[in-house]
Amino acid sequence: METFLAILTVFTQPELLALVGIGTFAGIYIGAIPGLSVTMAVSILISFTFSWDVYPAISLMVGIYMGGVYGGSRTAILLNIPGAPSAIATAMDGYPMAQRGEAGQAIGVTTVMSFFGGLIGILVLALAAPFVSEFALTFQPRDYMLLAVLGILLVGSLSSGSMVKGIFAGALGIAIGAVGRDPLTFTERFTFDFQIMEGGISFIAVMIGMFGVSEALIQLQNVGMKAVRQKIDKIVPSFSTIKTYLPLSLQTSTIGVIIGALPGTGGDIAALMAYDHAKRVTKNPKIPFGKGAMEGLVAPETANNAAVGGAFIPMMTLGIPGDAVTAIMIGALFIHGLNPGPMLMIDQPDMFWFIIGALFTANIFMLIFGLTGIKIFTKIVEMPRSVIIPLILLLSIVGAYAVNNSITDVYWMLGFGVFGYFMRHYGYPLGPVILGVILSRLLDDNWRRAIISEREDLGRFFHGVFTSPLSCVLFVAVILIFVSQTPLWTAIKKRVFAKTS
Amino acid sequence: MSRKLIGALVAFGLSASVATAQEYPTKEIQGIIQWGAGGSTDTVMRSVTPHAEAALGGTVVMQNMTGAVGAIALNYVADSKADGYTLLMGAENPMLYKIMGLGDKDYSEFTPINILARGTPILVANNDAPFDDYAGMMAYIRAHPGELKMGATGPGGLPSVITAMMNTVEGEMDVISVPYDGDGPALTALQGGAIDVMPAVLGASIESIRAGAMKPIAIFDVAQNAKLPDVPLVTSANEGYSKYLPWGPFFGVFTPKSTPDDVVAKLSAAYAEGAAHPDFVKLMDDRGFTMMGISGAEANDFLSKWQQGTAWLLQDAGLAKASPEEFGIARP
Repeated sequence: METFLAILTVFTQPELLALVGIGTFAGIYIGAIPGLSVTMAVSILISFTFSWDVYPAISLMVGIYMGGVYGGSRTAILLNIPGAPSAIATAMDGYPMAQRGEAGQAIGVTTVMSFFGGLIGILVLALAAPFVSEFALTFQPRDYMLLAVLGILLVGSLSSGSMVKGIFAGALGIAIGAVGRDPLTFTERFTFDFQIMEGGISFIAVMIGMFGVSEALIQLQNVGMKAVRQKIDKIVPSFSTIKTYLPLSLQTSTIGVIIGALPGTGGDIAALMAYDHAKRVTKNPKIPFGKGAMEGLVAPETANNAAVGGAFIPMMTLGIPGDAVTAIMIGALFIHGLNPGPMLMIDQPDMFWFIIGALFTANIFMLIFGLTGIKIFTKIVEMPRSVIIPLILLLSIVGAYAVNNSITDVYWMLGFGVFGYFMRHYGYPLGPVILGVILSRLLDDNWRRAIISEREDLGRFFHGVFTSPLSCVLFVAVILIFVSQTPLWTAIKKRVFAKTS
Repeated sequence: MSRKLIGALVAFGLSASVATAQEYPTKEIQGIIQWGAGGSTDTVMRSVTPHAEAALGGTVVMQNMTGAVGAIALNYVADSKADGYTLLMGAENPMLYKIMGLGDKDYSEFTPINILARGTPILVANNDAPFDDYAGMMAYIRAHPGELKMGATGPGGLPSVITAMMNTVEGEMDVISVPYDGDGPALTALQGGAIDVMPAVLGASIESIRAGAMKPIAIFDVAQNAKLPDVPLVTSANEGYSKYLPWGPFFGVFTPKSTPDDVVAKLSAAYAEGAAHPDFVKLMDDRGFTMMGISGAEANDFLSKWQQGTAWLLQDAGLAKASPEEFGIARP
């Protein structure tokens, strides 16, 4: 009964309810603008809410977090610029839909599916948090490394067209991610003794440049072209549509929760893995992936919102952040006089249930705010190019600067924008570059940790892989996915099928 | 209710500037936090600054500037105008930049406004580790050379200094040092069994110890800790440590060296008042930090002593990239 009351705290106090609502609303717009990130907003809020009680402060932060993760999809669909890293996969099928005049429908499905994913994440947090966090702790450095390798293999799904070009783009991304002082040994890598390279290249700057600026440059080629008229009648998806994607969204939500709960991986990786998963399990999509497949929207959007609940799992049960935002929230709890850690759930069980209640409320607000105002939003796409192109450039510059308040990032962003334009021009996919940058650290650091732990002995490393069930499963998955992308696989498949028939 | 709502709305607009009298501060002060949001330095600075703001009658806009082990933030503030409108909120690391080859500047280019507190190092172990105390651990290391996995956070971090101390006192230990990017991830790995032992700051591990998620081995301090009175001091196992202790990471607020004296005095007074606020004292105490609250000559003294001790310890352990002698850091 007390638990129930704690969950309902948000509803019984109008002030808290309003704060969650404001937070969600603001989060959607902060998330939609590339460069303005949830992480930044929440860290500003720490100082801002310093003198408040802990419940109102957390309400606002939870709202911003939930709204922000969803908001990233808006600009991804409408402008082909992901507002947040977790919306990269959303752009791949969302933007083609907008180009066909189905932006409204795309946003509608995205909203409902984000709500569904968020709900699954919250349910797992509420019902199974201790089990999931125990499972997350069993991930050893070699498992993180295998997970990163699994991620790298997504290059195949993210590159339409030439596989070689995709691999090149992915490798470039990994190299970009390695620039700067290595966080483990502090040795300079790929800095060529330039001071601006020492701090590394901001991943957000690369993302905004590659997607935002290059998009603006591409559109410059056909400034005179008339914008597509958007159909705005079928915004809220029908129940039967939702039912069709229910099995897929359950699977991708699970991916989201687990990846979100792992300390060190977050919604961005979850969304990309979910996209890849959708591509594998969907045998005959109505519209091919990359051309505006509905499945390509459903998968990443359920996964990244499910990752929100996931990220709270290690935070609430162990005091370990599941991602950058929950890391800041742990700081906030600490400032407000609570001691986040494994004892929090025992000392302050109300806090746990209150956060679940707040997340749930934020999820509902997200659905409401997401489904209203779509008509105005779709007008953005119908604006003349001469307005939209400067707007994209402006947003890109502001966003790149805001990440670290550093003008260097703006230069990087512009440089990568021009570079990305030429890559697109010659048919190199941009998705794998971003994938490479995201996974670079995860792969590199964990490979080194894994092999150092085994005294740099490959034999001992593989012994470790084969004696741990988790590592074994991941390793087999890596091998299978790798083989399935080679010509060898098609040859074997042909033979096997030839025999049976 | 309405006050908070209005406040929330304002937060999403631009931060409001507070214009005060002609005197300092007449505009917003920029506080550059050397480490990322949510870390110890970040939390400490974000909790003391609002109290200092009240004493100062001004606004300090805090901003995280990470990268290159904090060197980017340090250089940024060192290169800013010395007018008291840019503050560096940092930890102990810059005192080792020179000998670690990470940069050519340290806190000698700054005036300390307030050195707020210091942390206490503690050695913690995974619950399944085959030993329960310091003596048991040393016996295990000797009996099983090259097997114990010890967490680290890169050269110059707390674990590297503690490991150097142990190597100096106990003789070279044959252990595997596994690097992590921060003590948070390393302590997570410790609970998952990826590493066996981790030297960490007490504040980062105290909640997990309280919950029984990891076991404490020894506290690296000269006096028994009030938060964990049952955990033995490392000096009780080996007297040799008392030469190097007390030692610990610290947090401080700094301003570039040529800042006018009256501005420094105002800031120092404000931060001294802020640090004495009961809320802040309680918060630091809960996390096991030892309050210092020193400034002026006392702070400079502390800094140079800290630097001498640590730099030479690392040099003698063979971890320094350049000898402290080159930078005029005297042997203690």
